Amino acid sequence: MGTVESPSGENKKQTGNSVYRTIWRWHFYAGIIFAPFLLILAVTGSIYLFKPQIEQNIYQDYWVVTPNGEKLPASQQIERAKELYPDGLVTTYRPGESETRSSEVGISQNNESLTVFIDPYTGESLGTLNNQDRIMDRIEEFHGELMAGTIGDRIVELVACWAVVLIVTGLFMWYPRKKQNIFGVIIPRFNKGKKILRRDLHAVPAFWITAGMLFLILTGLPWSGFWGNNFQSIVTNTGEGYPPSVWIGNAPVSDVKTKDIAEVPWAAEKLDVPVSDIEGFTTLPIDDVVETAKREGIDPSYTIYIPNSKEGVYTLSAFPPKAEDEVTMHIDQYSGAVLADYRYDNYGLAGKIVAWGITLHKGTQFGVINQIVSLLICLGMILVVVSGFYLWLKRKPTKEMGAPKAPSIIKAKTFLFVLIGLGILFPLVGLSLIFVWLLDFLVIQRIPAVKKFMNA
Amino acid sequence: MEKMKFLLFVLTSCLLLSACSLKEDAADLYKKESPLEAEVILPDAFLDDQQETIEVLLTQDGKEVNGADYVHFEIWKQDGSLHYNMEPAKAMGYGLYALSKDFHSDGLYYLKVHASSNGSVISPQMQFVVGELSKEELKILQQDLPATEGGHEHHH
Repeated sequence: MGTVESPSGENKKQTGNSVYRTIWRWHFYAGIIFAPFLLILAVTGSIYLFKPQIEQNIYQDYWVVTPNGEKLPASQQIERAKELYPDGLVTTYRPGESETRSSEVGISQNNESLTVFIDPYTGESLGTLNNQDRIMDRIEEFHGELMAGTIGDRIVELVACWAVVLIVTGLFMWYPRKKQNIFGVIIPRFNKGKKILRRDLHAVPAFWITAGMLFLILTGLPWSGFWGNNFQSIVTNTGEGYPPSVWIGNAPVSDVKTKDIAEVPWAAEKLDVPVSDIEGFTTLPIDDVVETAKREGIDPSYTIYIPNSKEGVYTLSAFPPKAEDEVTMHIDQYSGAVLADYRYDNYGLAGKIVAWGITLHKGTQFGVINQIVSLLICLGMILVVVSGFYLWLKRKPTKEMGAPKAPSIIKAKTFLFVLIGLGILFPLVGLSLIFVWLLDFLVIQRIPAVKKFMNA
Repeated sequence: MEKMKFLLFVLTSCLLLSACSLKEDAADLYKKESPLEAEVILPDAFLDDQQETIEVLLTQDGKEVNGADYVHFEIWKQDGSLHYNMEPAKAMGYGLYALSKDFHSDGLYYLKVHASSNGSVISPQMQFVVGELSKEELKILQQDLPATEGGHEHHH
C-alpha cells in the first residue's frame, strides 16, 4: 500500500511494518520540530535569491551614475568620503564594475559599518547606507543564523542536517511497496478521497523536489560555522580545497621589518622622534593598488580591503555571479608586490565544487534560469512543510501528539546505522540524537502522562 | 542500548574535540608567488657640493636579483620644488641597483622604486630627510597626509 494509514495488526509482514512505523515516528517528530525552521529557510531563501534585482531596484539612487569623462583616482574619491566622516576609519574601497556604477567607500565609525556611495566622475557623494539597515543583509542573516549569531548558525546547521534525515525517512515511506501505477507515487491521486489526497500532496511534491532539497542542503552546509569551517579546514589542508584565506585561514603579511616603516611624529612644532624613524617605507597609495588590479586582470566587481595594521596587506576580493570569475589577491602594503593571487583555477577540485555549489545555491551562476529553478525548489519546500503540518493536524487525536507507536529503534537495524552514520558525519545531528535518547530515557519513559502523550 | 549510547557519545565527542584547524603551511599546497623584495640603502650623509648615490637591493625567493626587467627610480621633494622623473638605475651586481643625484636643498624627500622581475612588479615608496625639516614639512608629517605623488607614469 505504501501510504501512512494507521498501522494495524492485520499486516502479515509484522517486522516490515514495525520498521515502517519506527521510521514514520522519526519522520513525524523530526518534521514537527524542524518544520518551522525549514519554512523560515525556504521563505528567506526565496527572497534572498532575488537579491541582485531587489538591490538594483531599491539602491538605484546610490548605484547608478552617468558616465562623464574620466573617473577620478580612487584616492580622491576616498578623500571625499573622509571629508564626510572625518572620525571614521576607511576600511574598504569598491571601484564599481561598470561605467554606470558608483564607487563605494566603506567606513567604520562608532562600531558601525557605513558605505558611502561616490559618483566617480564628479566625486560627489550619492548618499550613505548603514550596513545594518541593508534589508537583504538582514535577510541573509535570518537565513544563515536566524539573527541569533553563533547559536542561530548552529541551529540552521542542525536543521539542515535533520532535513537530510527527513528526506531519507520520507523517501523510505514514499517508496511504493507494491508494483503500482504512477498515481500516488509521482502524480497525486485527486479522486481517491480527501485522506489520500492529503497524503499525496505531501509525499508526491516532496519526492519531486528531493534532489533539489538535497542539493540546497549540501551546498549550504559548507558555509555553516561548525560543520562548514571544519570541512573547509580539512579540504584546504589536503590541497584540494580553497587556498588559505579565501574562506578560512589568514592572509600573508606585509614583509617589512618595523624599523623600515616610516613613523609619524606626533608632537606639534618639533620633531619628537629620530629622523631615522621617519625615514622608511610609506603605505602604498591606493591608486597603485587599483593599477595592479587592472594589470593583473581581475573581475571588475572587486573590493579592496585596506590594511589597518603594520603587517596588514591590501586584499582584493571579488565573488561575482559566476564561480569561475572569483579572485582573492593579497598585496604587500609597502612594496605593492602581489603576495598571493588565488583565482578559481587555483582552487583544488573540492574547492571548485564548493565554489560552484555556492553560486548555484545563491542562484547567481546561471542567472534568471538558476533563480527560477531555485525558487521552485523553495516553493516546493514551503508546500511540503505546510502540507505535512496540515496532514498532522487532520490526523491528530485531540489529546495526543498522534505519533505512531513504534518499537525500539534497535529493531530497525539499517535505519539505526543510517542514523548513527549521519550522527558521525554531522556531529550536531549526533549530539542532538544523544539528547533525544537521554530525554527519552530520563523523562519520557518515566512520566506516564508524557509517555502517553508522545505515544512512546 | 547503553553500550550504543556510550559508543555514540565517544565518537561524537572525538569528532567535536578534534575540530580541525588549518595547517600553517597549507598555502604551500596552492599556487605560490615569488614577490620581489626591495631594501633601500641611503647615503650616510647628504653633502651640498656633490652627488649622492641611492642604492636598492633587490631579492626574490631569497636570492639577489641581477637581471631585473627594469629598475627605475623616481625622486621628488614633498614641497614640489624638485622632481626627478623616472630614470633607470644602474645595475651594480650582487642585486644592487644605484642612481646618483643632487640633493642640494634640505627637506622631506620621497623615492619610489619601480621594479619588475620574473613576474613580480613592485613600487615601494620611501620617505627620507635631507638636512633639517621645515615647519611646514613637520606639520605635513604630523597630519599624516598621504604623500603627494609625482607624475604617474605607467609601465607596460
